Amino acid sequence: MPVDNLSLGRRAEPQPQVVKQAIHWLLRLRNNHGNPRLNHQCEQWRAEHHEHELAWQRVQTLQAELSHNLRSVPGAQVAFNTLENSAQGLGRRQALKLLSGALLVGSAAWLARDTAAWQQWSADYATATGERRAFQLPDGTRLELNTASAVDLDYTAQQRLIRLNRGEIIVTCGGADEGAPFERPLRVQDRHGTYEPFNARFILRQEGDCTRLSVTGGRVAIHSSRSASIDVLAGQSYLVDRHQARPAPPLDMEAGAWIDGLIVTRNMRLADFLNEVARYRHGLLNCASQVADLRLSGVFRLEDTDKLLAILPQTLPVQVRYRTRWWVTLERAV
Amino acid sequence: MSSSELAVQALYSSHHGWLNGWLRARLGNAADAADLAQDTFLRLLQRTERLELKAPRAFLRTIARGLVIDHWRREEIERAYLETIAHLPEAETPSAEARALVIELLESIARMLEGLKPKVRQAFLLAQCEGLTHKQIAEQMGLSLRSVERYVADALYHCYVLRYAA
Repeated sequence: MPVDNLSLGRRAEPQPQVVKQAIHWLLRLRNNHGNPRLNHQCEQWRAEHHEHELAWQRVQTLQAELSHNLRSVPGAQVAFNTLENSAQGLGRRQALKLLSGALLVGSAAWLARDTAAWQQWSADYATATGERRAFQLPDGTRLELNTASAVDLDYTAQQRLIRLNRGEIIVTCGGADEGAPFERPLRVQDRHGTYEPFNARFILRQEGDCTRLSVTGGRVAIHSSRSASIDVLAGQSYLVDRHQARPAPPLDMEAGAWIDGLIVTRNMRLADFLNEVARYRHGLLNCASQVADLRLSGVFRLEDTDKLLAILPQTLPVQVRYRTRWWVTLERAV
Repeated sequence: MSSSELAVQALYSSHHGWLNGWLRARLGNAADAADLAQDTFLRLLQRTERLELKAPRAFLRTIARGLVIDHWRREEIERAYLETIAHLPEAETPSAEARALVIELLESIARMLEGLKPKVRQAFLLAQCEGLTHKQIAEQMGLSLRSVERYVADALYHCYVLRYAA
């Protein structure tokens, strides 16, 4: 029987489910010390499959190592107090210092740990104009918000829902939803549709009356009540509006470059470019019609849009006119 | 010099100063910052895969962030340990060598438990260090027995993954 030989020959890692069963047995036996019936049942389970036995051996070793290490710390409660006290201190420091940069990686996870368990979790995140933030969610999903964006999260025992209310996000699936005892689908929703990622990374951007979905890794299904689900694969983009979802025309800029604080354009119209830059600054930014169709290719830093504007005259025949601090117009150079 | 060493050298000359500044802002201490900047580049030299150079600073920051957390964990363990044993009677106070060993041991356990939710960690430690039964833990923490069982199992699974799946 070649199939059986194959599966026996491969020394497979125990499946997570099997490891969890082994842990379950270990804890049951420990809590019902010396119960012969349980002992027997556990032995039967171990004998069922070599994977069971391997998981059992490892779990036992791990348990023995841990308790040996912890009990070799002298003094009553010293190990417990030290570990608890230091873990709290470390959590505070990470939240206060490491995460106070432009990217708040991990702070959401930290807050969540202190305020709520994984089951019921809701939170609102928003960015101001010109701000970008990143969050590591407790299930391992990474969420990045571009300028002037808002989401809220609704995590329950049944599902993980991210609602995009405004702006643009990048969602990166984080593998296993650790801590959840059963599968909870991850879904992202906005006013035009529901998007279900499968081990994916994707950008969702609201543009007036439609939403642009750009998948950069994995697969995302677009669900809507109007039609069958559509699978969008890595490298593909779709526009979703109230009526339909359709493949998007190529962009004249790099869709996710804002993550690195950049706008990267390919032969983009100046008027379109200024609309894009305007998302990152307050006030009014536009250009005279004579220069609107000039084309622009390059890499621009978003961190200071005044500087960004100031370098445009180096490549294009334009001048930047500040009517006020917040009312800027590009005109033909004289 | 291999091509990867050359790549690290190029990274070093363009970003070392910046990394130093980034670390100093977090550690508030120039000597520690210089040490960790050095460690960051040492880590890079030990890596075998090709360096991801598209976003070198993000890449360096990721490594440095891990080192900063290691550094803080070490400090926090030391501080918490010394605080805890300060209450012990003098006869039970461990020697300097014994202290160093215990701190190292606790550090490795703390690293393993990192990422666990506080309640999960607490329930697990009460079972492991203090040898309390799940029922006692449930009473002490004001949780249901089922939650305690799940927490302890979750924590063991977490440790299993770190120990065997890496």
